[in-house]
Amino acid sequence: MNSIQSIFLLLLTLSLTGILYFVFIVWKSALARDGGAFPSASRLSRLGRMPSERSEISRWAAYLHRITGVGIFAFLSLHIVDVAFFAFSLNAYDSLHSIYSTLPMRIFECGLLFALLFHATNGFRLIIVDLFDIGVIRSNVILKSVFFLSIVGTIAGSYVILQPVIS
Amino acid sequence: MSGFSRVFISRSLTYVALRISGALLAFLALGHFFVTHISTDVADTGSSFVTKRWSSSLWVTWDTVLLASALVHAFAGLVVIVYDYITRETTKHRVLILLASLIFILFVIGLLTIIISVFKIYST
Repeated sequence: MNSIQSIFLLLLTLSLTGILYFVFIVWKSALARDGGAFPSASRLSRLGRMPSERSEISRWAAYLHRITGVGIFAFLSLHIVDVAFFAFSLNAYDSLHSIYSTLPMRIFECGLLFALLFHATNGFRLIIVDLFDIGVIRSNVILKSVFFLSIVGTIAGSYVILQPVIS
Repeated sequence: MSGFSRVFISRSLTYVALRISGALLAFLALGHFFVTHISTDVADTGSSFVTKRWSSSLWVTWDTVLLASALVHAFAGLVVIVYDYITRETTKHRVLILLASLIFILFVIGLLTIIISVFKIYST
C-alpha cells in the first residue's frame, strides 16, 4: 500500500466517523425535540393504532433522508479529490482507484447504492407530497414502496457488485 | 441577518434549488453509479475506462452537470440541516461560510479535473 492509498483510506475513515457523528446529532435532537420514534411505553401504545395512521414511519424517513444525504456528500467530497489525480498522473489514479475493487470498498459501495436509491426515491416522494395534495395515508403507501424499491434495488445491485469477489 | 444570508440563503430559493437539482440528480447520479458499478465492474473502471469515457462529449457534459447539480443540492440541503441543528446565529453563519467555501473549492477542483483531463485526452 502506497502513501496515496493510505491517505485515501484515512480520509474515508474520517468521513465515516463524521457520518456516525451526524447520526448522533440527529438522534440526540430527535430525543430532545421531535419526541422521537423510539420504543418508550407511550410510543409502544401508539403501535396499537391503524398502521396507516402512524406518522412514525415518515419521521424515520426524514432522519434517514438527512443521514443518507450527508453520507453521500461526504463520499462525493472524497470522490472529487480522488478523481482529481486522473488529471495529473494516470498511474497515481490507477493505484488509488484499485482500492475501489477490494472487498471492504465493494461493501461500502453497496451501502452507497442504498443511500443513493433511498435518497432519490424518497426525494421523489417529497416532490409528489409538495405538488399534489395526496394526504398522509397515500403518502405512507408511497413511502412503503420507497423502502421496498430501495431495499430490492440494493439487494439486486449488491449481487452484481459483490459477485466478482465472491465467485 | 447578515448580507451573506440575505443573498445566499433565501428560503424559497433553497427550496426550489433542492427539488430541481434533486430531480436531475436522481437521473444523473444513479446513471453514473450504474455505468461505473453495474454495467461495468468497478475493477475495470481504471484510467483507460475514464479516458474512453471522457473522449465522448456526452459523458463530459454528464459529469460536469452532475458535479454542479450535486454541489448545489448538497449546499441547499446542508443549509436546511444547519438551520435545524445550529441555533446560535454567529455559529450558524460561520458554519455556512465554511460549507460554502468547501463546496466552492470542491467545484473548482472538479471542474479543473475535467478541463485538464479533456485537454490532455484531446492533445494526445
